[in-house]
Amino acid sequence: MQTPSKISAQGVNVHYGTTQALKDVSVEIAPATVTAFIGPSGCGKSTFLRCLNRMNDTIAGCRVQGRITLDGQDIYAPSVDPVQLRAQVGMVFQKPNPFPKSIYENVAYGPRIHGLARGRVELDEIVEKSLRRAALWGEVKDRLDAPGTGLSGGQQQRLCIARAIATAPEVLLMDEPCSALDPIATAQVEELIDELRATFAVVIVTHSMQQAARVSQKTAFFHLGSLVEFGETGQIFTTPRDPRTESYITGRIG
Amino acid sequence: MSHEHIAAAFDRDLERIQALVMKMGGLAEAALNDAAMALEARDGELAAQVRAGDATLDALEEEINVECARLIALRAPTAGDLRTILTVMKVAAALERCGDYAKNLAKRSLVLADLPRVEGAAGSIRRMARQVGQLLRDALDAYARRDADLAREVRARDEEVDQMYGALFREFVTHMMADPRLISPCLHLHFIAKNIERVGDHATGIAEQVIYLVSGMLPDEVRRKDEGATLGQPGRGV
Repeated sequence: MQTPSKISAQGVNVHYGTTQALKDVSVEIAPATVTAFIGPSGCGKSTFLRCLNRMNDTIAGCRVQGRITLDGQDIYAPSVDPVQLRAQVGMVFQKPNPFPKSIYENVAYGPRIHGLARGRVELDEIVEKSLRRAALWGEVKDRLDAPGTGLSGGQQQRLCIARAIATAPEVLLMDEPCSALDPIATAQVEELIDELRATFAVVIVTHSMQQAARVSQKTAFFHLGSLVEFGETGQIFTTPRDPRTESYITGRIG
Repeated sequence: MSHEHIAAAFDRDLERIQALVMKMGGLAEAALNDAAMALEARDGELAAQVRAGDATLDALEEEINVECARLIALRAPTAGDLRTILTVMKVAAALERCGDYAKNLAKRSLVLADLPRVEGAAGSIRRMARQVGQLLRDALDAYARRDADLAREVRARDEEVDQMYGALFREFVTHMMADPRLISPCLHLHFIAKNIERVGDHATGIAEQVIYLVSGMLPDEVRRKDEGATLGQPGRGV
């Protein structure tokens, strides 16, 4: 039997005002898998990513149609609390954006507002565990009270990842998480993504085709608001079926 | 789909390695033809030329390998570009081997020049070499034109070469049984026939690479070899 999808999107259309940004996109996001979204700027990949935790709700004039389910539950159902949803579907952004608070508070904030810890001891545990999983603990354990913004770019991004996983999400969305990082920090984040895959479904938007090839098991290619091709990463990068995919990944004018 | 990369230098590099492969193909084919001609005409000078010319093929293969490694490292090729580079390397290796077989043929033709003639043998070898040369040429044409249909045809035609080899094998055995003085030249001739048959196998291998290059998949049905033709005598290993 096939493993049920973590997230299932069926016939998703998105409009910004009168402009259609996504056209009839259907994708199945598998659990314990890294799924990469690639495509040229403006192809709709980030828009689609933002549909998966209702980040588009915050954009005026944005209309999302279609059905998106998390473990079979419609995430756009009126009963769903978007804040609660975002604790389950965490997000890491392009630019590291730690809160202007201490390293500890950056990670403790989510679990605290979602009531995930009973008392300081449990909260300490969550903070340590999250920082360890984000491969940052060793570098910051002696200065948890220092401001998060004082860390290096790569450390800040790992802090944001620790913050995102502190609420024990089931899915982690990453919107170009390495575009502001140097190659070493990028490699660390990629290594981290591979480790996180054991527990989460990870969806990553990236402009680096090599990054998509390195970290993901599934790749989706978006072009002009449509999902052109979705398949095993190895297949997409050796024998893409659609000529538009081939043009894009080989660096030809598409 | 546009065929040109945004990075024009990448296109130039890909074209260059493919031009080198075509050059190798032309040289390998000529070497085979010349070696067979030298055998038939007992032309020691031509044979020596073929032997010396093999170094050019070796150098070209080396150059292609270096260039492919550079492209993989610098361009991180994917999809059709990746398959192009992979097939270029395999085709170059196959052609280098073909050159070795032609060189071996030339070497043996020099030895055979001092041995008793085996009636009709040089002509038969020459015909087989021409047939295999055509097979190699078609395989390379299929490669240059990305023509999977022609490649499939080449695969099918290798069977004819196998049959020619089988017929020659039986001919040589007959000669050797009839006249023990012909054992030595017939053994050399047999190695030559076997080597030409191997060139045919390399042509088939190139054809299979064409199919992979075009479709991303190797031909799934394994061509059924007529074991009898390849081994000379049906049911008996040699």
